[in-house]
Amino acid sequence: MSAVSRIPSPIMGVAGLALVIFIWHLVTTGGMVSKAFLSSPADTLSALQRGIASGELVGQTRATVLRMINGWLLASLVAIALGSLIGISQTARDFLRPTLAFLRSLPASAVIPVAISLVGLGPSMVLGVVVFGSVWPTLLATVQGFATVEQRLRDVAQVLHLSKAAFIWKIGLPNAVPDIVAGMRLSLTVALILSVIGEMLSGQEGLGTAILLAARAFRAPELYAGIALLGLIGLVSSYGLLMAERRIVRWR
Amino acid sequence: MPDSKTAFSFEGVHLELGGRPILQDINFAVKRGEFACVIGASGCGKTTLLRLLAGLVKPTSGSVRLGDQTVTAPSREVAVVFQDYSRALLPWRTATGNVSLALEAIGVPPAERADRIAPLLAKVGLTDHAEKYPSQLSGGMQQRLQIARSLAQDPSVLLMDEPFGALDAMTRQSLQDEVLRIASERHATVLFVTHDLEEALYLGDRVIALYSNPGRVARMVDIPLPRPRDQLATREHPEFLRLRRELFTVMEEIHA
Ligand SMILES: Nc1ncnc2c1ncn2[C@@H]1O[C@H](COP(=O)(O)OP(=O)(O)O)[C@@H](O)[C@H]1O
Ligand SMILES: [Mg+2]
Repeated sequence: MSAVSRIPSPIMGVAGLALVIFIWHLVTTGGMVSKAFLSSPADTLSALQRGIASGELVGQTRATVLRMINGWLLASLVAIALGSLIGISQTARDFLRPTLAFLRSLPASAVIPVAISLVGLGPSMVLGVVVFGSVWPTLLATVQGFATVEQRLRDVAQVLHLSKAAFIWKIGLPNAVPDIVAGMRLSLTVALILSVIGEMLSGQEGLGTAILLAARAFRAPELYAGIALLGLIGLVSSYGLLMAERRIVRWR
Repeated sequence: MPDSKTAFSFEGVHLELGGRPILQDINFAVKRGEFACVIGASGCGKTTLLRLLAGLVKPTSGSVRLGDQTVTAPSREVAVVFQDYSRALLPWRTATGNVSLALEAIGVPPAERADRIAPLLAKVGLTDHAEKYPSQLSGGMQQRLQIARSLAQDPSVLLMDEPFGALDAMTRQSLQDEVLRIASERHATVLFVTHDLEEALYLGDRVIALYSNPGRVARMVDIPLPRPRDQLATREHPEFLRLRRELFTVMEEIHA
């Protein structure tokens, strides 16, 4: 098997998905679960169609996706810049890595109460939480990517008199790119989860709020329509990043 | 005593690393344009000697001089070709991009780089591989690329650390001849580290043999073989055979 993550054949994936939907269908039509808790695939699909036709779901999806992408991009920018500064110095790396690993293992949701008390329940709180939570995987990956620069390349940089900035730009960052892209993939998942949680807690427009309201009103088809859309966002974004990753690390 | 003809010199150099003496009492000078070869057992301090001259390591006492300057940091006059070529190249840059790194470092404007890279790649026979990544090149080609990059710096001193140690015999011979040609064209001073006695004799104007533990100069021998050297004629030259015999005994002593 090659070391590079393989893009699986879509046929197996589609077959697996079809099986899950079929079992879902059997469970709901067989009356094993109340329709108030789990709607059938068909009801979910029609809720999805209604929501899209009315434009309501489209707007909510756009709001959530924008929140996720904005938070993720901001987090990536912060993570790469900060990670480069930490990564370039051996001392800073040794000094900060345990702290970073500790902060990363704090579930971002645990930070939400702190964020609420600091900035209230507005959109900036949600964005702040998304950024805070999704910054860690990319930050640690960037530091890691700098730490793994070959000693020989450091010698080359010294012999050539590369400045610190040139070292970051020409050696450190390119060396870290595979790690950074992998970190950004993790960050994107975290950003999606936190966008939804943030919406649920703050009532900002988005799929999170939509799901929460549907659940409270026992509108199961709408609840599952929202969940299906969230799954789709996760699937499309991680597949897109996987493709981007393959293009970026072509030289391997 | 070093004079204006001296390219570099080691003057009473001692070096300790981690409290252990690695090099002791190193004293020798290399003239401009001279091709000096350093031989010795593995671990005797050959690489360390070269790193001192490259300004990557500082001596514990004594001084390393480049021309009339004491070496305190790497200098653009000195280029290094490392032993482990696969680690010394940027895997994410093509052959062109790797040579470009040296030009970027010395501040050559982007518009002029292509015109300087092409002849350098041609000189080491990589014209047809200019847009390939290191992972797509053979070991010999990767080492040629490292040589091209070191030349891009336009150095007056070229340091080479067992550059052909990992290559097969044929590739090795053709690279030996390329390096001799390049050195004589540029009138460059070369310090060439090898553990191969015949390679040292074939290339050098002088062979410096080191003892181990700590590294000390065991013997310095001038190689008055005619140039240009030839893989067949030089290696069959009576003087070559005599020197090989002489240094072979030294090598046995060194390895004992
Ligand atoms: N940074 C270092 N710290 C401590 N010891 C070192 C270091 N670098 C090299 N050495 C030691 O110095 C000795 C000479 O190493 P080196 O110059 O690489 O030898 P050679 O190139 O002749 O094989 C070895 O015993 C090695 O273990
Ligand atoms: Mg060595």
